[in-house]
Amino acid sequence: MTNWSGLIEVTVKIRIIAGLSALAAAAALTSCSAEPSSDKGDGPRKITVWIMKDSVTEDFLARFTKDFEKGRPDLDLDIQIQEWNGIGEKVTAALASNDAPDVIEVGNTQVAQYSASGGVKDLTGKVDDLRGADWLPGLAEPGRIDGKQFGVPWYAANRVVIYHKDHFAAAGVKEPPKTRDEWLAITEKLNTGKVQGIYLPGQNWYTLAGFVWDEGGDLAVRTGGPWKGALDSPEALRGMEFYKKLQALGKGPKDSDEAEPPQAEVFAKGDVAQVVAVPGGAKIIEEANPELAGKLGFFPVPGDSAGTPGATFTGGSDLIIPEASAHHDAAYEVVKALAGEKWQTDMAKTMSYVPNRTSLASVIQDNEGTAAMAAAAAQGRATPNSPQWAAVEAANPIKEYMTAVLTGQDMAEAAKAASGSITKTLNS
Amino acid sequence: MKDATAPAGDRPARAPRGPRRPPRPASRRPPSRLPLNTGALIVFVLAAFPVYWMILTAFKPTPEIQAETPVFWPTSLTLEHFATAARADGFAQFWRNSLLVTLTCVVLALVVALGAAFAVARLRWKGRRGFVLMVFVAQVAPWEALLIPMYVIARDTDMLDRLPTLTLIYFMITLPFTVVTLRSFLTGIPVELEEAARVDGCTRSQAFRRVTLPLLAPGLLATSLFGFITAWNEFAFANMLIIKNQDDRTLPVWLSSFSNVFGTDWGATMAASTLFALPVLLLFLVLQHRVAAGMAGGAVKG
Amino acid sequence: MSRPAPAGATGGVGARVRGLWPYLLIAPTVLGAVALLGYPLVRNLLISVQEYGMGELIRGDAGFAGLANYREVLADPEFWEVVRRTLWWTLLNVVLIMVLGTLVALMLQRLGRAMRLLVTSGLVLAWASPVIATTTVFQWLFASRLGVVNWFLTRLGFASFEGFSWTADGTAAFVVLVLLVVWQSVPFVAITLYAALLTVPAELHESARLDGAGGWRIFRSVTLPILRPVFGLILCLEIIWVFRCFAQIWAITGGGPHDATTTLPVYAYRIAQSLHRYDLGAVVSTLTVLLLLAVLIPYLRQLLRQEAEE
Repeated sequence: MTNWSGLIEVTVKIRIIAGLSALAAAAALTSCSAEPSSDKGDGPRKITVWIMKDSVTEDFLARFTKDFEKGRPDLDLDIQIQEWNGIGEKVTAALASNDAPDVIEVGNTQVAQYSASGGVKDLTGKVDDLRGADWLPGLAEPGRIDGKQFGVPWYAANRVVIYHKDHFAAAGVKEPPKTRDEWLAITEKLNTGKVQGIYLPGQNWYTLAGFVWDEGGDLAVRTGGPWKGALDSPEALRGMEFYKKLQALGKGPKDSDEAEPPQAEVFAKGDVAQVVAVPGGAKIIEEANPELAGKLGFFPVPGDSAGTPGATFTGGSDLIIPEASAHHDAAYEVVKALAGEKWQTDMAKTMSYVPNRTSLASVIQDNEGTAAMAAAAAQGRATPNSPQWAAVEAANPIKEYMTAVLTGQDMAEAAKAASGSITKTLNS
Repeated sequence: MKDATAPAGDRPARAPRGPRRPPRPASRRPPSRLPLNTGALIVFVLAAFPVYWMILTAFKPTPEIQAETPVFWPTSLTLEHFATAARADGFAQFWRNSLLVTLTCVVLALVVALGAAFAVARLRWKGRRGFVLMVFVAQVAPWEALLIPMYVIARDTDMLDRLPTLTLIYFMITLPFTVVTLRSFLTGIPVELEEAARVDGCTRSQAFRRVTLPLLAPGLLATSLFGFITAWNEFAFANMLIIKNQDDRTLPVWLSSFSNVFGTDWGATMAASTLFALPVLLLFLVLQHRVAAGMAGGAVKG
Repeated sequence: MSRPAPAGATGGVGARVRGLWPYLLIAPTVLGAVALLGYPLVRNLLISVQEYGMGELIRGDAGFAGLANYREVLADPEFWEVVRRTLWWTLLNVVLIMVLGTLVALMLQRLGRAMRLLVTSGLVLAWASPVIATTTVFQWLFASRLGVVNWFLTRLGFASFEGFSWTADGTAAFVVLVLLVVWQSVPFVAITLYAALLTVPAELHESARLDGAGGWRIFRSVTLPILRPVFGLILCLEIIWVFRCFAQIWAITGGGPHDATTTLPVYAYRIAQSLHRYDLGAVVSTLTVLLLLAVLIPYLRQLLRQEAEE
């Protein structure tokens, strides 16, 4: 089969190839010599901190780093921003390694599983030093396993409704809605022509969870023994029903969540009347479109009856120190600073977050967005407190369920399938 | 593909027609090339369109990307998306890392595989059959599943967070395929050529270097391209084994986070994909003739 | 590692007793395979008979669990559902790839020079694009908003595709993945087969034609026999490739919606990485390898027979 005629030609080309392989070999050699040497020298110790993408501004981190390193010439703070995508694998790999980052920010729905794993340093003895007596329960509890405190509360944020004042005025809406029925009516009024009454992506499951709680349902329940997914309870179905009605009053995609596309960017284009987000979202919106500055208003997600705002998901983060960190003491100093009054106040002001301690709540009182949030905070809820909950979020049957319902599949059936999947994951 | 190697396809059918009429008109060439060419065009469009669309989107101004009616031929081009992509943190660094890991792995695999392929194709020894079987079965290795054991091993040998670890793993991922194909190529080159050279006074290794190796070049190229693509693409190990040393991340890891960073900024995402695909596409387009010819040469003897 | 099987040390072309040489030449390969593949496989096997979760991974104190993990996986109806789906996924893709690839190869053979160059360039573009890049492109093509595919289908008169979400519906998501995998694989098959076709001596065709054989008969009696070995190899590679396909599925659907696109590799990855049941993940991957080997046994046997003949 050999192509005899091709042989000669090929022989000529050998020179080109020889050149190529020489290049490649050279690259191979470089790779050995260019290997970075680990810094075990006498320089400042490098303290690595993992912060999640978009949890705080770069400006905040820069200020913190400068302030922290001042007076600590022996420490060099290296803050690495982590992506949400695949973070579970990443943190697990870090906890199990021999040389882990020294401080890691983890979501409050995920801190439980890491705490239970044995790879996180027990900080029970430091709770008093951190003044943990009045920590927000939504952050402190998931970080506590069997009475031991592993996760240190960092910040929390509740969902509120951010609205575009011009669109409200144009539609003749004078006051934000007080009940969910009012909310629907107003949103319908707003949803005209180019303007979307509300931009609610189909998979914003935190918002759905709020409606479900409001109706008296839950995502999963535990009656004594094993967990059971509860999306198929009548209460939960009513919550989804409401979500579906609300979602239809805008052009939110049915098959993606609030991060894709980033809803702040959608809102920033100016044709959206309302969006459900943490108050800090307004900052990002204004950053994307400065013309909207001063035109954004806030109100708590309405509840069933006037007077009590709706239940909302309390999102937030804890800080953990991996056992495998080589600098436990320095790591603790970082945690203490980030969780302490000075930087908590700063975060509350710049990011509109709820500080980690209830006694600090006063610092956010004069802020419109956080005021709406504070009203909602009393109704704040968390996801089912199981170390396995993070696994549910990783595959997220709730999102699939929502898309299924919104694209016209049978609600009861889809809810049953999703509940089954939650049950299985929570008990595995 | 090379004309020199294409005796069958190219030649116009000048087969003398006997008195018998061909039973089917289809076997006659001239009648109409139209259906055939239409089919060819469709295949071309289907094959090339996604790549075209990627590159086009990367160059299109944002309003055209978001137009309700897709713009298939842009009125103006912009480099803005490439700027966005290239400005993203550490892009150049990750590009370099990927190239380094990939090239090292490819060269390593070629050298090691060449020895093994030679032993299998040219020498007789006890255990050859078992070895061939082992190499073949190694192609079935469930790499994604070895993530955890590999992680544990790397951790226990202090090899986490290092690019050479990735290089070694990619080397092993590409090695079996490299051995199998190189061996096929080698089998395709007549031993007589080597022997003739030895008659002329070459030693065995000289004969191999001067006669066989040059003939093997297309094979080496074809195989290395496959190795290149495999290593260039690898994500799971790169994501799991490079933990704290973030400067050592590779391009696929960066690209996967990229779609997060930019949400549905399809322009920037496509620009990033284009930059990612670029080296492979270029290499392929330049070398396609030799590679395809090589593939056939190798595979025929399979 | 397989120990040397008895092989004929009989003479033949170039057959001389080379002493240690062959073993030295294969030593790096064997060493690499043992250290970088064999050992991890053994560790994987070990994990599959231990109780191994996130805690054990971190603390490294896994207890022996015997075959309990295997029992747990094999008793789970979901696993069998995934196995069925994987076989169906492999069959569908491989058949499509081989048929389309062959057709394109035959077409290439009949095309004029310019057209052939055009088509091969297109194929090479599709072939050479890295999986991660093309997967991203397919997400963009099939995006529910502004996606070209939805626009095109709507234009063709299928109004229901306006804003259609391809990843929300099980069948639709499956279709997208099949299209992607077929699109990525056909060029390799077509180009390799075409190149192999070139080695069919023209004289054979002509004499067959002289005998009055039609197109199909020529294909069956002249072309096919010559293509068979290549065909076998490609078929094998495609089966392995499609069966093990992971990155595409993971990136586009993550195995959803409602597991409609969960094949064995995705299943194993999800159990290990999302549920942190590394033991069960190891079980699934071990079973996956066994299954794949079972599918490939006919070819492996043929391979061994060929080796024996040589």
